[in-house]
Amino acid sequence: MRCRPTLTRVDALRTGELPAEEHRAVEEHLKRCKSCEESVEDVERFARAVKALAVVAPPRPIRESLRTTDFFDQVENAWVAFSDRAIRMISGRSLEDLRSWYAKRYGRTLERAPIPEPLRKQVIAALHGEGVDKPAIDLRDASELERSVLQTLTRIPRGEVRSYSWLAQQVGKPRAVRAVANVVARNCVPFIVPCHRVVPAGGGVGKYAYGSEMKRDLLKREGVDVDQLDALAREGVRFIGSKTTKIFCFPTCRDARRIREENRVPFHEVDEATEKGFRPCHRCQPKVA
Amino acid sequence: MKNSWTGGEAARPIESAEENLAVAVHRLEPGAFERLIERFEAPLYSYAHGILQNPFDAQEVVQDAMMRAHRALTRQYNEERCASLALRPWLFRTVRNLCLNKRRGKRHELEQPLSEFDDGRMGPFVHLEGSDLERKQEVELLRRAIALLPVDARELIMLRFMEEMSYGEIAKTVGATEASLRGKVFRSLKLLREALERKGVAYAV
Repeated sequence: MRCRPTLTRVDALRTGELPAEEHRAVEEHLKRCKSCEESVEDVERFARAVKALAVVAPPRPIRESLRTTDFFDQVENAWVAFSDRAIRMISGRSLEDLRSWYAKRYGRTLERAPIPEPLRKQVIAALHGEGVDKPAIDLRDASELERSVLQTLTRIPRGEVRSYSWLAQQVGKPRAVRAVANVVARNCVPFIVPCHRVVPAGGGVGKYAYGSEMKRDLLKREGVDVDQLDALAREGVRFIGSKTTKIFCFPTCRDARRIREENRVPFHEVDEATEKGFRPCHRCQPKVA
Repeated sequence: MKNSWTGGEAARPIESAEENLAVAVHRLEPGAFERLIERFEAPLYSYAHGILQNPFDAQEVVQDAMMRAHRALTRQYNEERCASLALRPWLFRTVRNLCLNKRRGKRHELEQPLSEFDDGRMGPFVHLEGSDLERKQEVELLRRAIALLPVDARELIMLRFMEEMSYGEIAKTVGATEASLRGKVFRSLKLLREALERKGVAYAV
């Protein structure tokens, strides 16, 4: 081996990282060549000198900005996970369910801690379907889509239901119905964020994390006439218009429910309504064509 | 699927404690991630500082990298992948990529010649031992000389001599072959030596 390739290998030789054959060749050259032999010591000196410049820790410890545990507590029958500021997850099943779900979703463990009193009151109210001020929800780890879907969900009033396509449209992604529905399905704060108020456009109450039966009961308790919804869906009626105002709504919209029997006009499609000179309701915002 | 992070026959044996650390984090063992932070925050920060030469950016990058590492280890990688992960190069590479992203936005600023020495851009390294004045001055000179190197050279010097990585690990960190790295490290050392000789320090400790 000649000088140049030897010099580039001196450092690797120092730590014994060369393949056996090269190792021998380099050592052989070093025996013969005085100047190259000096470089060995030179590299070692540099290694020692640079090593003596110690690394330092960041000015603000990293640990302070990264939590690896959050807290949980039991509120009535539900297990609630919360961070230092707000609710992060609710499970109606068991602590085990909450823990495993939480680990999978957030990669963190949970410690028992008493939930702050105002938060507890809000959670209880929300679980009973009451209360005007909802508990704060911690959406720090949520994606942009998740955030907007969950925020839109909270705008669906009690006693009303919407379709998945409506939801997709409201968050500004009218073609991403499936993706939006997946976000709804992964809602980690059920009851508080009313994901049960989204139903398939084709009728029925659809699936629910705690079973369709429970979804139906929840909606009934909130005052939704589920049987009537089914009946309408069977006939393919998706909107109700009023002859007097020339406005059409979702059937469960509070403005649709007070239309007198003789003034009700059923519609199957948005186009059908707009062709007849009806405009969409401002409150429930059925598809704005 | 095999990728460059999982061990192949080419991979050097990893310190077993580190290998377990990735798995421990994956299993959400209490305190595991804190141990990982403790073990790596200083080296990663110093490395980030070496590339960015700015304490605020370096802090931000390391924080971001740790968050990504946590997400990957706990949620994205399965246990098998965590077990075969070369943790140290993987973390350094994450930091490196984030640093390069950051640099891209401020290339102009960083390419200004550093003739007047700006303390903020100097490395965050402190010399721990040695109190006599002459030695201190020499260490100071070395520190400056490293800070004035081109970024690629500085990076290699840090990885090889401060972090004491093997060539295999450096190769994984910066994405080059070991053979090319030997040459690059040699040239980086040469640059450093020349810089010191200009200042009249033939390096000797």
